[in-house]
Amino acid sequence: MTNPTGTPPGRAPSRTMRLAVAGSAALAAVAGALFYYASQTAPKSVHGTVHKVTVRDRACEPNEITVPAGRTVFEIHNASNRPLEWEILDGVMVVEERENITPGLRSTLSARLKPGHYEITCGLLSNPRGTLTVTASAESEAERRKPPVKAFIGPLSEYRFHLVMQSSTLTKSVARLAEAIRAGDLDAARRAYVAARLPYRRLDMVTSRFSDLENAIDPVADYLAERENDPAFTGFHRIEYGLFAKTTLDGLAPVAEKLLAGVEALNTRIRALRLAPEDLGASVERQARFLADGPIRKGENHYAGSDVAELAASLDGMEKAVELLMPLLEGAAPDVVKTIGRARADAHAAIDGLKQGQDYPRYDRVDDAARRKLATAFAAFADAVGKLNASLGLEQP
Amino acid sequence: MIRKHVLAALALIAVSTGSSTAQNTTLDLVEPITEYKIYVTEKLDRLVADTKTFTDAVKAGDVTKAKALFAPTRMSYEAVEPIAELFSDLDASIDSRADDHEKAEADPDFTGFHRIEHGLWVKNSTADLAPFADKLMSDVTELRKRITALTLPPDKVVGGAAVLMEEVAATKISGEEDRYSHTDLWDFRANFDGSYKIVELVRPLIAKKEAAFLAKVDANFSKVSNTLDKYKQGAGYVSYEKLTEDDRKVLAVAVNTLAEDLSTLRAKLGLD
Repeated sequence: MTNPTGTPPGRAPSRTMRLAVAGSAALAAVAGALFYYASQTAPKSVHGTVHKVTVRDRACEPNEITVPAGRTVFEIHNASNRPLEWEILDGVMVVEERENITPGLRSTLSARLKPGHYEITCGLLSNPRGTLTVTASAESEAERRKPPVKAFIGPLSEYRFHLVMQSSTLTKSVARLAEAIRAGDLDAARRAYVAARLPYRRLDMVTSRFSDLENAIDPVADYLAERENDPAFTGFHRIEYGLFAKTTLDGLAPVAEKLLAGVEALNTRIRALRLAPEDLGASVERQARFLADGPIRKGENHYAGSDVAELAASLDGMEKAVELLMPLLEGAAPDVVKTIGRARADAHAAIDGLKQGQDYPRYDRVDDAARRKLATAFAAFADAVGKLNASLGLEQP
Repeated sequence: MIRKHVLAALALIAVSTGSSTAQNTTLDLVEPITEYKIYVTEKLDRLVADTKTFTDAVKAGDVTKAKALFAPTRMSYEAVEPIAELFSDLDASIDSRADDHEKAEADPDFTGFHRIEHGLWVKNSTADLAPFADKLMSDVTELRKRITALTLPPDKVVGGAAVLMEEVAATKISGEEDRYSHTDLWDFRANFDGSYKIVELVRPLIAKKEAAFLAKVDANFSKVSNTLDKYKQGAGYVSYEKLTEDDRKVLAVAVNTLAEDLSTLRAKLGLD
C-alpha cells in the first residue's frame, strides 16, 4: 500500500512537514518522470490490446471490463486529484497492481489473466469497485486441460517448504528425545518419542527414497534376522523398545545420538531434493499402497502401540502434496478432484472411527477387521490419487 | 555487508552450476522459491513477536518505548512487502496511509502502523491508541496465518525484487511513508534487503547468461547500500530529514535504475 507524497486534505500541515513534503514532492516528481520516461522507452507489448481505464474521484470509467484470457495491457489514467493505486482483485487477493500513479498521469500494467471474475479498485478505499471479467481463450483452455511446466513451480516449492519445515521439527524433536534420555527421565523420553514420530511420519513419502537412512532411522525388528537382538536393530524402534517394552533407559543414549545424526543427514538430503511434477502424485500413491499392503495390517510400533496417530500423520503428509495440486486439477479434471476428496474423507473417517473419546487406542487393541477396514480406505486413497498424474497430462515416473 | 553477500552468492554459484544441469530449467526456480518462503516465514515470525512488544508498549502508555520500537518492528514487514501486500484487506488495515481514506487521519478506517505512528509523533501520546494496537496485533497474526497457507506465486516472488525498489523510489526517497516519524531510512533498508535477498536467491540460475546484468545490478546495490550506511545510527538510522540533497539524488538514480533493471528479472527467468 503506497502513495506518493500528499498533504492530508482539509488540514494545515506543520511547517517542517510542509518543508519535507515540498522537498519530497520535487523528488517524487523526478522519480515519477524517470518512471514515465522508462515506461515510454520500454518496448511496447506486442500481444494483447490496450484497455484504457480512467479513474476519477469516485469511480473507474469504464466500471465493467471484459477481456479474453492471456496477456492484456491496461492503461490507467489517474484523473482524480489523489495519488492512485490500481488493483485487480480475486476476492481479497491482489492479482496485479500498479502503485503510485501521480494525479494527471497515465501508467500501463501488463497482466496475464486466467478466466474468471475479478474486481478492480478505483481510488479511495471506500470507493465502489469495478468488475473485470476474463473469458476463456483457446490458449487458456489448452493450459487448463494440460497445465504448463511453470504452473508446477508454485506447488513444488510449497511442498518442498513443507518438507523442510517438517524435517526441521523432526530434528528438534529428536534432540529433545536424546536430551530426555541423557537426563534419565523415562516419562519425558516416552512423550518425546511419540511426539518425534509425527514429523517423521509426515515425511513418509520422501524418506522411502533414502533407503540407507531409512535403515538407520526406522528399521522394524520383524524384518531383522535376530529381531530385537539383531545388531542392525537401531533407530526409533530400538529406543521405543527400551522405553516401552523394557521400561529402561539403559543403553539408549548412544542410540539416540546416532538417531539424531541420522535425522540431520535426512535433513541435508531433503534440502537438496529435486522433485518433478509427477513425483508428487506418484509418491503419494506408492506410499498409501505400501501402508495398505503391509504396515497397517502388521503394525510397526509394537511396544508403544502408537500406530493410529502415526497413520494420521502419514496421511497428513500425503494430503499436503495432493492439496497443492488441487487448484490445477480443478481446471483439468474436476471429477478426479471429487474422487480424491471422497477417498480422503473415507481415510480420515476410518482413522477417526477408532477413537475412544479423545484418544486413539493402542494398536494391539485394533482388531483384524478394523485393520482391514483401514487398509481398504488407504488402498482406495491410493487408487484415487493414481488418477492424478494422467489427469494433469503428466507421465507416471 | 553487501560484499559478504556477494561472496556467499559466488560460492553458491560454484556449487550449483555443476549440479543444475537438469533438463527442465523452469523447475530450477523451485529451490529459490522454497528458500524465499523460509525467509518470509522467518520475517513474519519476527513481525508477530516484535508487534507484540510494540503494541504492548503502546497499550502500557509508554510513548518513549513505543516510539523506539516503531521503526524496527516495521522492518520485517517492509522486507517481505511484495508478499505481505498480496492480501488487499490486510494491506489496507496494516499499512495504509491517511491519503487512502476519505477523511484522512480522522477516518475511522485509518488503522495500522501509520495510525499509531500519527498518535505517537503528532500527538506525542498513546491516548486512544489501544484499539488500534489490538487491531494491528490481530492483523499481523492473521497475515502470518494466511501467508503460511499460501502457495507463493513465483512471478510475485521474482517480480518482488523490482517492486521493492519501486516502493523505495516512490515512498522512501520522498519521505512519504513514515511522514510523522521520519523513520523512512529504516524501511528503506528493509526494502533494500528484501530486494537483494530475491536477487541473491535467483542469482545461480542466471549467473552465466546474465553476468553483465548482474554486475550492473550489484554495482547499484552497492552504491545504495554504501550511501545508506552513512546514515546509520545505533541499530538503525537517523531521521529522514538528515538525508542530504546530494545523497538523495545518488539514491534516486541508483534506485530507479535498479527498479527498471530488476523489472526484467521475470522475463529472464521465463515467468512472463
